[in-house]
Amino acid sequence: MPDIKLKNVKKTFDKGRIVAVNNIDLHIRDKEYLTLLGPSGCGKTTTLRMIAGLELPDEGEITIGEKLVSNLPPEYRDIGYVFQEYALFPHMDVWNNVTYGPRVKGWDEKKSNKIGREMLELVRLFERTDAFPSELSGGMRQRVALARALSSGSKLLLLDEPLGALDARIRTDLRYEIRKLVKDLQLTAIHVTHDQAEAMAISDRIAVMRKGKILQVGTPQELYLNPQHIFVANFIGESNFLEGFVTDRTDHKLTVELRGGISVTSSNQNHKKGEKIVVAIRPEVLSIRKGKKSGENSIIGAIEGFRFEGTNVRYEIRLENGDLVVVVRPALIAEWLSVGEKITVAFPFEKSFVFSYPEKGLRTELALE
Amino acid sequence: MTAFSQPKGIQKLLYRLGVPVTVAGLVIFVFLPSFFLISFTFTQWPEVYTEVFANPLIGDTNWIEIQKYISLSLRLAVSAVAIDLVFGIPLAYVLARKNFWGKGFLEDITTFTLVIPTSGFGFATLIAWTSIFGVDSIYLIPVINVPFIMLIIHIALTFPYIVKTLKAKLEDLPTLFEQASGTLGASPLTTFRTIILPLTLPAIFSGAVLAFARSLGETGATLVVSSVYTTAPIAVIRWVSQFNFGAAAFLGSLLIIVATAIILPIEFVLQKKGVSSFSFFSTLRIEKKLLKLEDFASRKLPRIRDMVVLLFIILVVILPIIVVLNSVTLSWNSDPDTRKVTESVMYQLFGPSNYFSALLDATFVSFASASIATYIATCIAIPTVFLIKRYRFGRFLRALLRVPLIVPTSALGLSILILWGPEGLNLANPGIWLIILTHIVFSVPVVVEPMLATFEGSDIPLYEGAARTLGATQYNTVESVSLPLLKRGILAGVILSFTRSLGETGATFLVMGSATTIPPLVVNMVESLAVPAALFASTYLIVISFVLIMLFRKVTTR
Repeated sequence: MPDIKLKNVKKTFDKGRIVAVNNIDLHIRDKEYLTLLGPSGCGKTTTLRMIAGLELPDEGEITIGEKLVSNLPPEYRDIGYVFQEYALFPHMDVWNNVTYGPRVKGWDEKKSNKIGREMLELVRLFERTDAFPSELSGGMRQRVALARALSSGSKLLLLDEPLGALDARIRTDLRYEIRKLVKDLQLTAIHVTHDQAEAMAISDRIAVMRKGKILQVGTPQELYLNPQHIFVANFIGESNFLEGFVTDRTDHKLTVELRGGISVTSSNQNHKKGEKIVVAIRPEVLSIRKGKKSGENSIIGAIEGFRFEGTNVRYEIRLENGDLVVVVRPALIAEWLSVGEKITVAFPFEKSFVFSYPEKGLRTELALE
Repeated sequence: MTAFSQPKGIQKLLYRLGVPVTVAGLVIFVFLPSFFLISFTFTQWPEVYTEVFANPLIGDTNWIEIQKYISLSLRLAVSAVAIDLVFGIPLAYVLARKNFWGKGFLEDITTFTLVIPTSGFGFATLIAWTSIFGVDSIYLIPVINVPFIMLIIHIALTFPYIVKTLKAKLEDLPTLFEQASGTLGASPLTTFRTIILPLTLPAIFSGAVLAFARSLGETGATLVVSSVYTTAPIAVIRWVSQFNFGAAAFLGSLLIIVATAIILPIEFVLQKKGVSSFSFFSTLRIEKKLLKLEDFASRKLPRIRDMVVLLFIILVVILPIIVVLNSVTLSWNSDPDTRKVTESVMYQLFGPSNYFSALLDATFVSFASASIATYIATCIAIPTVFLIKRYRFGRFLRALLRVPLIVPTSALGLSILILWGPEGLNLANPGIWLIILTHIVFSVPVVVEPMLATFEGSDIPLYEGAARTLGATQYNTVESVSLPLLKRGILAGVILSFTRSLGETGATFLVMGSATTIPPLVVNMVESLAVPAALFASTYLIVISFVLIMLFRKVTTR
């Protein structure tokens, strides 16, 4: 039922000096779980708050279903909203918090009680109805906040960094729980987070935002396998970036000269001869061989750092041209190498992404703030 | 940072001495005077009894009068607080939650009546209402039987207590709860009733308590507009001036007991429990109708609320100021109606009655006593804050410190007079030193309160801990970390105490002897019908108050 559309929406703060959301378009489909992902200050929370009516847009239109809501206050939008800080009313117990929505909407007592009970059972907190928020753990508070948002009966659930204030392990457990709930109840959910792992695990689609703009919208796989923007390549997953020039191109192949005069080949992605480019390649597709063995798309280097991370081992390798790359290998099958050892890194460049060198410099383009 | 160079032995000694010296200071200068009147009434009971209940000439007339006075004072205080709540709550909400042009001015205006010596403002109100609306000071509101102008004055002088405390609480309260309520479908008015009101109720209560206490003890302005009516604090002053000490002491003790009995239990319950589990939701049928009504009213509400609040401020505060400023210019050289030069401001100031030099003398006495009292009070208050925060008996001390704030000052003045004055220990004759001793009593708690607020809002124990881990001694820590962090609170307290001392009338009347301060001088001017001189004095006080407000604003805003 709810199908949310944002058309050319803009929001500024501080008398126009700060542009929080810069003319974005976004279509969230019915029953979809969409995540707004980006570093802090990218405008994701402002976008969510505009959908909720907690902020009003300067320009543009927001529609929920068929209804234009751009200037409607939140109480008339029929939404469920989960705040990062929970915002449970401290002077009400769990039961009164959860049934607050139905009561202020003037529903029958029977109906209010029924939905309150259902939602509390759904989040497994029915036995804590008499507790006050201050008596609950962080995870429980978040589940109460969720139940409260859901019991308003809305088919649209808005979640603002709902897991941000929780311990790491509870965060990962609760994220699957939320997704299951949303799918079981057939809701449309919009979730804001800066945690890319959370976004990947929970979403049907992700919209990556930076500096008030949406860079790319797609399924987790699309964003990971086919990033359209150098920032996305770094923010979703992780990438090594190697700077270079295009020295030759054919229909399918691009010859690139990296720093230090190393020549490699990559798949062609519409770049001109002589153009300055950046090659992005995932740490997990690189492989390492002991010793100095030259070959096509292999570069000699030395191990500079080594971390055992449980599932993976992570090497930091200084290449012979001075570039630093990270290689991640599964711990169980990795040959364990020690710091200082001379090795050769094999670059499967057909799995790389080639981007034009950003105008403002690579660092600025990748910066999280 | 001179303390760093002092030998550790001296630092330790100073630190050890701190607690007993502070406690002794508090007992001698603050608590003893606050409670002495009651014990005096007990020890002198036979005389008090004859005077009040069995006077050979008038029988128990004094006792009947006392009941009338206290009844009027209570009716006045209750009605003033009730009206304060009606207008103060929306005003506090607007100041805390909205941004608009002129907000700073509106805030200054709400500070204004806290700062101005009340007799000056009382005169301004009297002039404004009689000259514009033709309301006589004798006019009594039916049913509650409260003099109208007196009530207006008390509202003007007490509403800032509710506005300030509620505004501070609202600014601390995250808007998150209001937003959450909105997303759940509650209209702004419903949100106000079910979320904001329960969460701020303790602040509203303690603001109301302060307002109530202020109204109960108000003397300066009340004297100016009293006409034929007598409130309890005024009766205390009249009786003392007639050397009717027994009746005055009895009434003063009753006032202390009534104020303490009403206020302290409320304070204690609020501090201990708060109103955390309180909810304004009913399961009744009217709830549904109420919700509909609130939803409807919420659409029209903001404009009406703003208009009402603005009208209130204009009538109660701004109008008197403008009328006084206007009248003083009109009658500068001659009376605007009669054209008589003898009724001009200039003539009364510099003519035979020479009110200008009297005003200058009074200014000197006022500023000198206010400065000295504030200085001594601050010296006692700073270690007191640490006592309250460090020791177990701190909470008890804090509750006890409320007493001087709620004791009507005329009772306090009488207490001081019979404790330190010629009738008692004979330490000082009525005059500037007795004024100072009196003002210290209420100045200490006035300085302590904002310091405690700063202390609680600034994580001082955390920074003190950090300083200790870096090797600072306790003494060093207090001097180099805690005191600088408390600076804002201390300054705010100093200014509040100074202004309070400057405007104090009730107690000063009893202990000043011939060393008149400004507020009693204004009362004298009004009583001797020197209206132009009183106009000038009011203007003078209004100007001083605005200067003090600017100072206060500079100190308290970041």
